[in-house]
Amino acid sequence: MRMGPDLLVTLQGDLDDRAVEQIEQEITDQVARTSARAVLVDVSGLAVLDSFVARVLARLVSMVRLLGADATLVGISPAVAITLVELGVSLRHVNTALNAEQGMVRLRRLRDGEASRWTSHDDHG
Amino acid sequence: MAVGDEPAFFRQMIDSIVDYEVIRLDEKGVISSWHPGAQHLTQYTAEEAIGKPITLFYTDEDIVEGKADAELRAAAETGRYETEGWRVRKDGSQIWVSVVLTPIRDPDGSVAGFVKVAADLTEQRQQNLALRAGQQMLDGIADYEVIRLDSGGVVRSWNPGAVKLTGYVADEVIGRHVSMFYSEEDKRGAVAEREMAIAARDGSLEAEGWRIRKDGTRFWANVMLSPILDDDGEVTGFVKVARDLTERREQEQLVQRQRDEILELSTPVIQVWDKVLILPLIGTLDSMRAARLTESLLERIALDQAEVVILDVSGVPAIDSGVARHLLKTVEAARLMGTASILSGIRPEIAQSMVHLGIELGGLRSRTSLKDALQLALRMVHAGADVAELVGPRA
Repeated sequence: MRMGPDLLVTLQGDLDDRAVEQIEQEITDQVARTSARAVLVDVSGLAVLDSFVARVLARLVSMVRLLGADATLVGISPAVAITLVELGVSLRHVNTALNAEQGMVRLRRLRDGEASRWTSHDDHG
Repeated sequence: MAVGDEPAFFRQMIDSIVDYEVIRLDEKGVISSWHPGAQHLTQYTAEEAIGKPITLFYTDEDIVEGKADAELRAAAETGRYETEGWRVRKDGSQIWVSVVLTPIRDPDGSVAGFVKVAADLTEQRQQNLALRAGQQMLDGIADYEVIRLDSGGVVRSWNPGAVKLTGYVADEVIGRHVSMFYSEEDKRGAVAEREMAIAARDGSLEAEGWRIRKDGTRFWANVMLSPILDDDGEVTGFVKVARDLTERREQEQLVQRQRDEILELSTPVIQVWDKVLILPLIGTLDSMRAARLTESLLERIALDQAEVVILDVSGVPAIDSGVARHLLKTVEAARLMGTASILSGIRPEIAQSMVHLGIELGGLRSRTSLKDALQLALRMVHAGADVAELVGPRA
């Protein structure tokens, strides 16, 4: 789903190898085609979020970044968060947000901040 | 066979009997015939026994009481006399025998003597006594149900403990299947059959569950089921020992409930501002409390959609590596949900000891006072970008 310069991807149900491949292809295609600035990935609909799925998500975020967009995971529930921490899966380099709205705000602020840094840099330079 | 052979034939027959004593007495009770069975039983030889009165085998008390004469008289009068009692062997040892005395009559009807048949029942008597002792023991157990089931689960014995536990008396249950004490749900699930199968396989089974009394009320039973095996190792039945643990279960549940309530009280999460939560930590953090704390904090974060959480540790006496690990796990889980954390209330000595212990807090922000922490939290909420930076990728 497209929202301005951002993409919102909702993942649902079970993720098997084939689904993962398909999702990776579709998202990268979309990001490249729409020149999206940011991708929000809503994981609240996933049946399971184990270390496999966590690795898949981390990979997805890396791919999106390589295509010049920011990625944020939204909708990790308390139970999933505890499970991931216990599994030792930290998704350390991934942005997270409580919900899509907050995620969007954060991405926008981040972008504005970056923009203002660039502007101020230009001013000085 | 010639008529003249008959005595010899009987002789042979009687001599072949070794497990019983079959002897002839004269009308006064004097032994007039002997055979190997009698010798086996009493240890006396024919020479030692023949011609002796029957009292040879009686105990001193029985002799004083004139028991032998009374028995012979009774046999003569009624035509047959049966008794059991102690007899003395040649070596002085006593055996428990069953005796049948039958009079032999002359053609004119007068008693010419007696046939005495005796058998050693010492072992049987001991077994009977043991059985009876076992039964009495079972009957004496009033607080436990101790019953026997056959291999198909049909009740074969019942004891007072079982009466007390279930309200059923023996006649109401013997011959019926043990599943009669189970709830409808357990009956449908064939729980009784499963329990017996496991007991037969593993050699015993301990289980707990609801069982139903005669009056329809239920009790929480602890059940031990053990298979009874025959010599070939085949299961011929089960011994079932059960007791009522309803009260204990209720107490355990009460304790659990109280513990939950205390945990609830000891891990309060307070919303101090829109999207800002404070978790004041007080006292020692054990792993159970820490897990509970993480859980309730994350649930609260989801509920309030909180963006910043302040973990106030000013009430924690010491932070060792275990407590620090719990805190960091909580912070990590909160971050995965999209919420930033601030640590507050670290005292100088705790800061020193934490660094000495090598505890690494990563990118977690810390403030010494709750006021400073709150100010930081509010700034972060108002400038969402700041939060994004904090929550987001750490280098």
